[in-house]
Amino acid sequence: MVLLQRPHILLLLIGTHQFLQCWIAFGSVNEEGQKQEEFSEELLLKTLPDHKLLAHFHFQSSAPPSTSNGCHHHLFPKAISQLVQKFRIKEMELSFTQGRWNYESWGGFDPKSSSNAKPAGVELWAVFDVPQHHIDASWKNLTHTLSGLFCASINFLESTATYSTPEWSFPPASGNVRYGTLPCEAVCTENLSPWLKLLPCRDKAGIALLLDRPSLYRGFYHSQQLHLTSTGSSSEGIDSGIILEQTLTVVLQPNSEMAIEVHASEKHIQPSWSLSSIFGKQVSGRCVLAKSSSVYLLLDRGLSAANGLTSENFWSNPSFELSANPDRIFLEESSSHSKSLSILYMFQVEKYCESEPFDIGLMWKVPLAWFCQQTPLHASSANSKDGSCELRVDVFQVVPWYVKVYFHSLRVFVDQQPRAVSDIIEKIHVSPSKDKCLLGFLRIDEYPPDANQGFDIPSAIISFPNFHASMVFLEDDSLNKSPLLSKFQEKCPVMPYTEVLLVPLTTPDFSMPYNVITITCTVFALYFGSLLNVLQRRVAEEERFLKAKAAKKTGRLPLLLSKLSAKLRGRRLEPLHSPPSSSSFINSKLVLKVILVAGLAVGWQYFFS
Amino acid sequence: MAEISEAPDSDSSKLFGSDSKAPQRPDSEPEFDPKLMRKTKPGLKRLFLTFSVLFSFLLGFPFLWKSVEIYRSPLPFREIDSLSTQLRSDTLLFPLHFHALFVGFDSDPDRLRWSILSEITKLTSQNPKCSDNYTLSVTVDLGSRCLRGRTSSPHSSSYQCGSVTGGDFVQNDDVAVDERLASVFGGKNNEYSMAVVKGVSERAVVGKYRHAWMVVGDGSDVEMAVVKVAEVLIKVFINGGREEGLIRNEFMPVGADGKIVLSFNLLNADPHDWVYDWDFEKIDDTLLTPMIEALGPVANISVESQVLYHTPKASFSYWNQKLESYVFSTKDLPFFVNSNEWHLDTSIAAGGRSKILQFAVYVPSAKECPLLLQLPNGEISKTNGFISPDLENMFEVFIGQFRQLFGFKSLNVYTGASGDWNLLPSERGFTEWELDVLSRQHTCFNLHSCATTLGSLSRLVQSLPRMIIKDEIGKQVKLSLEAAKLALSNASSGVYESSAASSSQARSLAEDAFFHPSIMSVSYYSFEHCFAVYSPFFLPVSMHVVLAALRELRRYKQEKAKYLAWKAKANTAT
Repeated sequence: MVLLQRPHILLLLIGTHQFLQCWIAFGSVNEEGQKQEEFSEELLLKTLPDHKLLAHFHFQSSAPPSTSNGCHHHLFPKAISQLVQKFRIKEMELSFTQGRWNYESWGGFDPKSSSNAKPAGVELWAVFDVPQHHIDASWKNLTHTLSGLFCASINFLESTATYSTPEWSFPPASGNVRYGTLPCEAVCTENLSPWLKLLPCRDKAGIALLLDRPSLYRGFYHSQQLHLTSTGSSSEGIDSGIILEQTLTVVLQPNSEMAIEVHASEKHIQPSWSLSSIFGKQVSGRCVLAKSSSVYLLLDRGLSAANGLTSENFWSNPSFELSANPDRIFLEESSSHSKSLSILYMFQVEKYCESEPFDIGLMWKVPLAWFCQQTPLHASSANSKDGSCELRVDVFQVVPWYVKVYFHSLRVFVDQQPRAVSDIIEKIHVSPSKDKCLLGFLRIDEYPPDANQGFDIPSAIISFPNFHASMVFLEDDSLNKSPLLSKFQEKCPVMPYTEVLLVPLTTPDFSMPYNVITITCTVFALYFGSLLNVLQRRVAEEERFLKAKAAKKTGRLPLLLSKLSAKLRGRRLEPLHSPPSSSSFINSKLVLKVILVAGLAVGWQYFFS
Repeated sequence: MAEISEAPDSDSSKLFGSDSKAPQRPDSEPEFDPKLMRKTKPGLKRLFLTFSVLFSFLLGFPFLWKSVEIYRSPLPFREIDSLSTQLRSDTLLFPLHFHALFVGFDSDPDRLRWSILSEITKLTSQNPKCSDNYTLSVTVDLGSRCLRGRTSSPHSSSYQCGSVTGGDFVQNDDVAVDERLASVFGGKNNEYSMAVVKGVSERAVVGKYRHAWMVVGDGSDVEMAVVKVAEVLIKVFINGGREEGLIRNEFMPVGADGKIVLSFNLLNADPHDWVYDWDFEKIDDTLLTPMIEALGPVANISVESQVLYHTPKASFSYWNQKLESYVFSTKDLPFFVNSNEWHLDTSIAAGGRSKILQFAVYVPSAKECPLLLQLPNGEISKTNGFISPDLENMFEVFIGQFRQLFGFKSLNVYTGASGDWNLLPSERGFTEWELDVLSRQHTCFNLHSCATTLGSLSRLVQSLPRMIIKDEIGKQVKLSLEAAKLALSNASSGVYESSAASSSQARSLAEDAFFHPSIMSVSYYSFEHCFAVYSPFFLPVSMHVVLAALRELRRYKQEKAKYLAWKAKANTAT
């Protein structure tokens, strides 16, 4: 691919005697009053109703707009900034996911799940700031660059069967967006390492220290995302600022040993957990480069309701016990239609150090059961204002051109009752593939590797344009707003994904082309040969020749043959003119032939047995 | 059997006439032998049929050949060959002009010229690839009038008599003298001037433009000055003050596409102890931009920087009690770079064939501080380790290292066989005569590598007759040849900058053509493939057709002979 040349590395060493000196160089950046590059790290923990634990890592780096063409960086990863510069990306999201998000029990209508539940495999969408006719070329180059950057086969997204241009029904829809997925891409630690490389502290310090590979990949769900937004237009000479959000969402099963020891009899109790028991590691202080470094523990609306927690008594928690005291507690801004509130406990990692590592644990005292917020799949007239029960649902799916979708077979069920399609569906828009016609034949290089396993049809995105998930927490504005909390406050669209469909298509024997060529050619050759033979044949002459031959020497077989032919022609056998030259019953030549055939048969048998 | 009786005179009936019928015939023609003769003309029907099949078969071949033909853009093989033979046979000559000015000497300029030339020929080492075609003119300035050599070229006539006097060199400020001389000689592109003045304080200085001067004592003789003049002209102005064998002459840290990416990395080994940052934007503007502009004709340089954290070095340093510091030996330097933790990153912004030069500044952690670098001779390196980080100082070292990559020394003294010369440094990092040396060397290297690449491409293309060659490659080769020709003509007329630029263009185009993705792909349509696909059809069919045609021909000849034999017999009978 790219011809890498061995870089020359030159070294300089700086030794320092005094600690004070080190800020000399650092201070010069501040003088100009420019905004600096910032980094923050956060971790959100949430117990799920089905005895699992959700851990959501959120790292945010931002680079302010600068005049230096984005060549010089202090915290922000150079590779990402160069990527944005080179391909003029306005917004991009790349996610690597393993496992399936359980919408039923893990929730589908809160900001976390609606933005972090991703389809299995790789999903990439990008909005470009380039003219329409350059977008496809940019997309292809981008996929190649990303596949190099993240050690994944994202470059398969360049084939036109895997990506498309969503025109509507995909939230960031505009003409400049490209969306593509690779459902069968396996995600593993080789994708995580380059992702971690983009963090200034990597996994050497701070919250990222918890990312212990074996415990991460043992989980039920694992989704690693990279979302970047470039602010401001790059056409004005001043280079655009970039915000890079890196999130990692894992759903893990806490070890229930602790719970068993305490309440061996009670099986329904939630397992107690601590950071060290889940990840096998502890946080020994923050990443020194991070502006803020905090861990949050979220209690769902359902959980706090089951707990009996309200805005008055949230300090006392009768059903569970925390091993560390939270630094702050945020309450959700009360909404009109639900009484219960989410509660967010915040722990600041800054206070902890290597000698006193941060390790939060949660011990359940009483068994509790609750439910997460579901996707708004249930619409009732209570939800709407004018009494009519209306719910707008957009479905967007990319189907490769070789799979035919028959829309006449589409059926719609409302409340398990079949309905006429025209009553329910307002608009269907099919953008056909532009470079392939529906011939139904795949070229040999269009088959995926291991084609016998089947073809993965990417999952559909269902979006509810009238619903937005957001969680607003009461906080005083004097405090620096945490990126994670402000992310919660954004109205993000609710977008559940359907499951990936595996279509077993007939796969040919890939050596078939040669076989077909060979057999066709042989048939042609046979046809030509026999045609030519017939054309130049002299039937009468041959018969006379045969007869002359028979007259000279008549064996037993030729005699039989001539008899047979005579019989077939319905004539009397002409008397032979000369008596048979050899009267022996068994011809020596015949014996030889029989022996030869028998030998061949024996050899054949021997060889193949 | 019915046919036999019905068609007794058909062409075949005569061959095997039955014994019963044969005796009846001799009544009319007694000599007729059915095995050797026939009465009728042999038929042409089947012969015509088989031959028409054969011909249509043969006619089809060109069509088939055309249909399986692959597209090959015509490449100018002959021009490629002529370029490489041109570069190989007559070495690339760069025209140079030397001008030696003797102030206060009363000697014959022609005699001086002759002795300088003889010294120069002693010093010149023949470079097999590129050499210089120099002319020399000598002027002796006597204040009131000038003595010019008879063979002086038009270049030297621009010098005004008496514009340089011994008084100019009395002051000790070399920079002022340099500026003064620059205004006198003017900065002609490929003209190097050398002034020899009699004075009090003896000194020998090479300026940052294209001239040098030497102040010799009153009593010293001209011959000594001549040796030094010849040495500075050859060793400094032509060879750039480099020692042979120190670094490969052709080596240039320039990528095949003529680009260099300077990637600066500040590595904080342990940010828990301290975090360093730098204001690289300012350094870029003040220190690097002038140098990058100066090197513009040689390479297209871009700069980027980043700060990395948690980057421990890969090898240990040892505590030295005497120095009270940790000491890292130079011989361990290859193990210093920790490729697992130092994510220096190849640049996305750089193209595939650009050369990336990584400059790393390592800030040791508190527990290995202070860290010193020990040279092989046991001394502590002064330039590669700093206590107190002064950015200006650090970047001077960077520039020094960069110069070293280009083969120049960072020392400001050139020690020749006949004495020392002070070299005035330029604030741009490279002096003008150094840039000239680089341009010449760059042009020479690029042209040779372009010719080699194109030669290999033409050999490859000719050796694989079934390789697809796209039009784009043909275009790139054509443009590369054009650029190479332009560079050659520019070089021979002494326009270094543009010849360096077009030579690097020629080289990058040649590399582009050679590494074109369509050439790299292995899926070219081989002859074996073609044979495997078509042989199951053509082998049996052609066998049938050819054999049938042969058989028919043979039979026709046989039958015709029979007919002729009968005819001759019939003629004799009548």
